[in-house]
Amino acid sequence: VKPLFEQDHYEVLEIPRDAGADRVERAYRLILSTYGEDSLAGYSVVHAADAAAIRERVETAYRVLSDDAARRSYDASLADARLAAAPSPPEEEELAEPGAAAPEPFEDLDEGGDYDGARLRRARLRRGLDFEEIARKTKVNPSYLGFIEEERYADLPPRVYVRGFVMAYAACLGLDPLAVAASYMRRYDAERPRQRRRFSRGS
Amino acid sequence: VSATLGQSAFPAGAPAEEARAARARPVAIPVGGGKGGVGKTFLVANLATALARAGHRVVAADADLEGANLHTCVGVVDPGPSLADFVAGRTDDVRSLLVDTPIANLRILAATHGNFGMAQPEQADRVRLMRQLRELDADFVLVDLGAGTHPAVIDYFMIGEAGIVVITPEPTSLENAYAFLRAAFYRRLQLAMLSHRVREVVALAMDERNERGIRTPLDLLREVRAIDPAEGARFVETMRAFRPRLVVNEARTAEDVKLGFSVRSVCRKFFGIEAEYLGYVNHDEAARRSVRNRRPVVEAEPRSDAAIYIQRVARKLVELGRPEAAESEP
Repeated sequence: VKPLFEQDHYEVLEIPRDAGADRVERAYRLILSTYGEDSLAGYSVVHAADAAAIRERVETAYRVLSDDAARRSYDASLADARLAAAPSPPEEEELAEPGAAAPEPFEDLDEGGDYDGARLRRARLRRGLDFEEIARKTKVNPSYLGFIEEERYADLPPRVYVRGFVMAYAACLGLDPLAVAASYMRRYDAERPRQRRRFSRGS
Repeated sequence: VSATLGQSAFPAGAPAEEARAARARPVAIPVGGGKGGVGKTFLVANLATALARAGHRVVAADADLEGANLHTCVGVVDPGPSLADFVAGRTDDVRSLLVDTPIANLRILAATHGNFGMAQPEQADRVRLMRQLRELDADFVLVDLGAGTHPAVIDYFMIGEAGIVVITPEPTSLENAYAFLRAAFYRRLQLAMLSHRVREVVALAMDERNERGIRTPLDLLREVRAIDPAEGARFVETMRAFRPRLVVNEARTAEDVKLGFSVRSVCRKFFGIEAEYLGYVNHDEAARRSVRNRRPVVEAEPRSDAAIYIQRVARKLVELGRPEAAESEP
């Protein structure tokens, strides 16, 4: 229970001291959006000045912790400071990592069955990923990702592309691309002939 | 036992027996959130059903006297005996008011039904009610709280240390949820603090527009420490024991899913309170349909998106089990 200005960089980012680069990055993005200018999460509690102060602290923390050399020397200075003080209590075990995949600390509840659009969406939301993020990694057009989830097969390009998209999407979610594609394409093959294009694709 | 999803998703059967033997009293989980219409009753009905389907003996209690309709959500049209009988003094034993539901292992304590003139239970009644609920012969007792931050509502949040706060991705919900958390925490503090002067400051802080400018629990802690360091230590202890759990309902986007983590950060940075993000339930037409059909979605459409998310939250409740601090009496 420390005020912001007394918190060290790890406390500001709300991560344990052994957090890897990935975790630092995610925590930084989460806190930055949490205390962004029109953030929903802070509504009625976090005033603009508080949010600005936090963003500034977070930027500093991130600059140090995302740079290996700077982080090592910062860690050393923390260790020195702690020699004098009593050891801090061990970090509470995190049930869920900020911004990570999910508030789901247990194994995925594998609902089984086909990899249909809804199941892909669940997997995506669990990982806290939006279409833009996946599109960046897979280079698949975000609207196609949406059509894949909605099973709007008629709005997608020819089959061979769809299979490629689904595999890339699955890989991005950490799922087995071949298994997902096989399952998804079974549904596609059964359903595709029955679908007409619902909406014009535009230019 | 049919191999439906709901059952296979849980350690049913023998593990449930083991869990039962390991604890004499039920895990009590209040479900609040400040704002009406965020899905508290929906969540209670469905979490209770999910737990019951997994073989746990569950009681769902409706403490929302003004919008009582938990019974309808679990398919009980006219519950008959209800909390009203307890409040009116017609019975002193909550056990005699429990009503079976169409769902095996699930009983409910309904709130009043068609009795507009019913008074809110007095504080002494609430304490008695909570004590009896905690002593029921069941594995889980879920309590559906009404809206608002009146003591008649937030007192029930003290039935367990790890109550659930339901939020939806809207500013109105967040505003009320933070007000609710603050009120629930201050109420707890009032009971934990010994010094009269400190209790007075806590009472003052309960008014959000207090003249001392105490906005958050962390501001209040500073004041309390200045008055009496020993009370400051008790304050921190109370703070640590308070572990509300968050559920985001009606999530539609990845942004909504992350909201739980963001709220957790605000609770930590501004309230000094460690909230836990339990999970989220996405927006799903199946949920709407289930309410219309007066059947919990986890039972009516167990493979729907909403049902799968709810079962995940329920599974987490089983895993987390009973918080140690749940013993403290309000």
